[in-house]
Amino acid sequence: MVYLRSEVHLARWLEANGWEPGATLTATKMWELAQRWWSTRLEADWRPRLTGASQAILDDLGLAGDFWQLA
Amino acid sequence: MDAFDLEVRRHVYLAFASDGRPPSAGETATALWRSLEEVEKAYRRLHDAHALVLQPGTTTIWMANPFSAVETPHRVECAGRRWYANCAWDALGIMAAFRRDGRVESECADCREPVSLDVADGSLVAGRELLVHILVPARRWWEDIGFT
Repeated sequence: MVYLRSEVHLARWLEANGWEPGATLTATKMWELAQRWWSTRLEADWRPRLTGASQAILDDLGLAGDFWQLA
Repeated sequence: MDAFDLEVRRHVYLAFASDGRPPSAGETATALWRSLEEVEKAYRRLHDAHALVLQPGTTTIWMANPFSAVETPHRVECAGRRWYANCAWDALGIMAAFRRDGRVESECADCREPVSLDVADGSLVAGRELLVHILVPARRWWEDIGFT
């Protein structure tokens, strides 16, 4: 999961490495996702999150489709 | 995940957050008054549960996501301290985990030019023009977490 400066840089990076495109998010969307995904990580009473709960985070943010299916 | 594994995991994360590096199994054993063998077994169970990531064939912690124990292109400054993150997502995740403002300094994967992202008052205020690309579909993220 990497940063790229623009769609032009993304296309060049994929082509240079011979990789098929995956999913692209804006940095703003990734910040939203990071907050939902990681905000409990340092809590003293942290417990493992069930796959369904993780999937719900992705779904809530509109990250739909087969690419975003955790199971 | 039993109570002991949760205790070990909690110690690892708190130590990583405060020291900038993860504790060795020996350090955790000393801190928790447990044997080295007990802690090494707990590290392996936590690895198998994807609660942390060990260097292959060892009980040395590589990742306690979003923190990285090894240098990466993704450097994070937050809460007056600095860490390495495993990837673009994790870099923002460190600020999210602390619920504090901060800065990510990284690079464009294509041209290697420096990029930075700033979070202030809980909002991304710099670096908003950047893109994040994820190559691996979600159900395969843990097949090779290093590549993911």
